[in-house]
Amino acid sequence: MDALALEATSTKKPANGVPAPAPAKRKPAKKTKKAVVFFEVEILDAKTKDKLCFLDKVEPNATIGEIKSMFHKSHPQWYPTRQSIRLDAKGKSLKDEDVLQQLPVGTTATFYFRDLGAQISWVTVFLTEYTGPLVLYLMFYFRVPFIYASKYDFSTSKHWVVHLACMCHSFHFLKRNLETLFVHRFSHGTMPLRNIFKNCTYYWGFAAWMAYYINHPLYTPPIYGEQQIRLALILFLFCQIGNFSIHIALRNLRPPGSKTRKIPYPTKNPFTWIFVLVSCPNYTYELGSWLGFTLMTQCLPVAFFTLVGFIQMTVWAKGKHRSYLKEFRDYPPLRSPILPFIL
Amino acid sequence: MDISVVQSEDSVLLFVSAWTITEIIRYSFYTFSLLNHLPYLIKWARYTFFFALYPMGVTGELLTIYAALPFVQKTGLYSITLPNKYNFSFDYHSFLIIVMISYIPLFPQLYFHMIRQRKKVLGHAEDYSKVE
Repeated sequence: MDALALEATSTKKPANGVPAPAPAKRKPAKKTKKAVVFFEVEILDAKTKDKLCFLDKVEPNATIGEIKSMFHKSHPQWYPTRQSIRLDAKGKSLKDEDVLQQLPVGTTATFYFRDLGAQISWVTVFLTEYTGPLVLYLMFYFRVPFIYASKYDFSTSKHWVVHLACMCHSFHFLKRNLETLFVHRFSHGTMPLRNIFKNCTYYWGFAAWMAYYINHPLYTPPIYGEQQIRLALILFLFCQIGNFSIHIALRNLRPPGSKTRKIPYPTKNPFTWIFVLVSCPNYTYELGSWLGFTLMTQCLPVAFFTLVGFIQMTVWAKGKHRSYLKEFRDYPPLRSPILPFIL
Repeated sequence: MDISVVQSEDSVLLFVSAWTITEIIRYSFYTFSLLNHLPYLIKWARYTFFFALYPMGVTGELLTIYAALPFVQKTGLYSITLPNKYNFSFDYHSFLIIVMISYIPLFPQLYFHMIRQRKKVLGHAEDYSKVE
């Protein structure tokens, strides 16, 4: 930058009849420009402070992402998604998009590295954790051997609500898989590997537990019969459409391949009008869907699953709401994280 | 609802005495620590007695649970069977067996944690005496 300033002043006194370069505008440094001040980057281990890597001749407009790739070359076991690069050993991780020369560092930048551990992509985790319930529930529905007493093997339930419940459950997880593949735009590519075991245990475990009772030969249908089931189905379908509408609305806030964050607002779709009152209506609708399913099946394990899911989603919604408030000064004050006016 | 048939088992004496001694020492440790006047003897006892008391307690507990199993199975204690309007069931007998099995991974983890804590807490004093 000093070099550019120097060029700007030198135009006042052209020397030797050589035409001086035009007054320098702030253009992004091109690789072919000569007067570029290269940075040196050293990367230290955040815990031991050992010098892990020294990079010289780093472009000032290099991003953290590019630096991670360079670091990966000297340490092939630490692929970029498992690197956490910070300015401070105990500080926050820098983002891949951050540009070297815009960071508060001198021309020799010191970064601290922490290994985030083995990583796995969000898409892989989602697909795995959602396909399990899909398959497991069907195994209980078709009464595969060794689950119930052998005289019931491959029999079907005599209650029509059990068939309806199977369709709803299967539809729900099929929808989730399709959304993972075609709708969601993830901020992060990866998460820690241990999450897949944790998440799959949760989803698969609960799915098996619920499916066992709903498809049991001794299943008791809802007390209020057809009325209860009809109301439950309407609630379920309404919330499935709502949840999908929110996912689409959130997707449309973000151009493909980007990580932009914007305040979501109601669109022409009436199912998105809930944005007026709630920050994370996708979770609100998800709760509604599972309340519907609980009502439809009248099954205590389903109620437990709904409760645990609600608690987790509330934690996420509150976090998201807080981030929105921090990032956007003009965030609508009427909104609650997950339940209008309540939570 | 108690399982009176199990109350007179020797295993009960085993874990009650182990836990009684442990707890008296442990809560004295907490009390004195809060008063900033912790006698070394209490600290030493807390991090040494567990070597014997912890296995004693675990053995007593496991034997007691095992002794109660036939009674639980026969009477269906704390258990809910199908069919019912909540479409839920719980078999206390199976639950107890799962609890017993869970001791296998959990007990070593806790035991070795205490051993590591001992090195950290009591190891200090050894260093000081060496420096003197």
